[in-house]
Amino acid sequence: MTSRSLNKKFDKILAREEAGQLSSKGGSRALKKLFNNRLAVVGILLFAIILLTAIFAPLITDADPLKIDLRNLSKPPTAEHWFGTDKTGRDILARVLYGGRVSILVGLGSGIISAIIGVLIGAYTGYKGGWPDIIALRVSELFMSFPQIILVLLLVSIIGQSLINLMIIFVLTGWGGMYRMTRARMLSLREEEYVQALRSFGLSTASICYKHILPNALGPIMVNITLSTAAFILAEAGLSFLGLGVPASIPTWGNILNVAQEIRVLQNFWWMWLPVGLVICLFVLSVNFIGDGLRDATDPSQQG
Amino acid sequence: MLTYVIRRILLLIPMLLTISFLVYTALELTPGDAVSALINPELASRLTEAQFYELRESYGLNKSFITRYGIWLGNVMQGNFGHSLAGGVPISTIFLDRLPATLELSLVALFFSTVLGCILGTYSALKRGSITDSSLTVIGMVGVSIPEFFFGLVALLIFALNLGWLPVGGRLLPGYETIWDRIPHIVMPAMVLSLMMTAGVMRYARSSMLDALTRDFITTARSKGLPEWRINLLHGFRVALTPVVVLIGFRLPVLIGGSVIIEQVFQWPGLGNEFIGAVRGSDYPLVMMIALFSVFTVLMASLIIDVLTALIDPRVRLS
Repeated sequence: MTSRSLNKKFDKILAREEAGQLSSKGGSRALKKLFNNRLAVVGILLFAIILLTAIFAPLITDADPLKIDLRNLSKPPTAEHWFGTDKTGRDILARVLYGGRVSILVGLGSGIISAIIGVLIGAYTGYKGGWPDIIALRVSELFMSFPQIILVLLLVSIIGQSLINLMIIFVLTGWGGMYRMTRARMLSLREEEYVQALRSFGLSTASICYKHILPNALGPIMVNITLSTAAFILAEAGLSFLGLGVPASIPTWGNILNVAQEIRVLQNFWWMWLPVGLVICLFVLSVNFIGDGLRDATDPSQQG
Repeated sequence: MLTYVIRRILLLIPMLLTISFLVYTALELTPGDAVSALINPELASRLTEAQFYELRESYGLNKSFITRYGIWLGNVMQGNFGHSLAGGVPISTIFLDRLPATLELSLVALFFSTVLGCILGTYSALKRGSITDSSLTVIGMVGVSIPEFFFGLVALLIFALNLGWLPVGGRLLPGYETIWDRIPHIVMPAMVLSLMMTAGVMRYARSSMLDALTRDFITTARSKGLPEWRINLLHGFRVALTPVVVLIGFRLPVLIGGSVIIEQVFQWPGLGNEFIGAVRGSDYPLVMMIALFSVFTVLMASLIIDVLTALIDPRVRLS
């Protein structure tokens, strides 16, 4: 009884789909689901606000993040300096805004580059199999057997501190996770019938795996990018806090927090570290909310 | 079972060899060669140029790269990890000195985060869809979004500087060595580290418990008329626990990573603190050895976990 009514229902959906009534909505279903998720919307708003204030920093404040003002040392927040000034009289609001540019660039940039590298290698070797697959797998195992922060610090000590070096190190330590995930998806997708059909048409390997299979793995890839972006922003903050990340002359969120290592600053000058710490938390939280929303929206087992 | 363990160990050996080879190559490329680091600097300072050269030769400096690697590896396996560039202390001494503090901190954090994570995760799964469940999920996400050092700083400000309940940092004051002198020092770093790790365990425990509750044997138990708490705790939780225990082992890298920064914030005299000092001071032999040691620990932990899982679940060792 139930199975027959279910069959009927399915036939109806199939008929509509064949008539082209469903396919027009298909592309936006995940997006619609994302916007129905309250936390994801909060995340997107927060993300947009912090990103836009960082990009349009000159419109928000006239202050120069690098200008030292010896008449305004360690001043608490005032109407002129909303977030106060630091120990050398630099405006902290300007430093948080301009620092956000660098921190977001490092986090999002490393997240996207490591995703591209991981996906390119994972999709190709996962589809082809054979010795390239074995080599890539072993190399990724090698990188992933180090605790991440130990590997990052080890590489920092070898190649030295700079903005570019830090991004290179993040990509080196971060591509493995994405590679593994793409490879696993590839291994199951390459056995699908439509892939066999494409192969029998004589399409090239690259075309099959990047153009035809890869879009089916896009959901988890997007989720993974958000997660690694959040992780890289936290890592940059931690490393710069220790004085081992981005060189201290460039303002970043972690570099601003660096002064809080001093007990005197921690106790007496809350405006030098608390606001920027909260900004980091809010930004990472927004990225995590978006990632969680994307996971729910693109997970086919929760479709409907 | 034995063949499974042996096969697993055989897979581990090439991995360790490759990593040690890479570490050795890095040591050779960084200032100060690996072989010289093996020689006690105090002894070296008393030798003449010619004697020093001879000693270096006896360690194989003039031989080929591969031979030198072999000699170095032999030394490392016998416990001669070389000497730190700063002060010329044998690295094995530094390990013996600093490792107990790191172990103490990590094990306490591991214990608390596991217990707390399992309780909250299971509770969340049992109350699925309730306000408690969704707020715990959000709290967990907030938890993973806070940089651990920032959380540590806030705790430091509140409990040590403003309230004055706990010491600002360190592990022991000289002359105070009873357990009551030690506890106040470990409370903050251990609690900060455990709370940061609880979020992950909680999330995993929740989904594992949800998964267990949909199984057939739960329906069977319910149809037998067992009380609900018995079904949940004795039948559901026991099954849900196995993957959680596995996860705990795989969280070891996270634990090591977290403790590196937390040790710095609270001036905890552990290996992580030493590692940061070595990176800052470009003390390459020490940096490499601590890194090698951490990889060794992680690989060994994953080996032990694999063997344990195979013992619990026979399907693993047959595949």
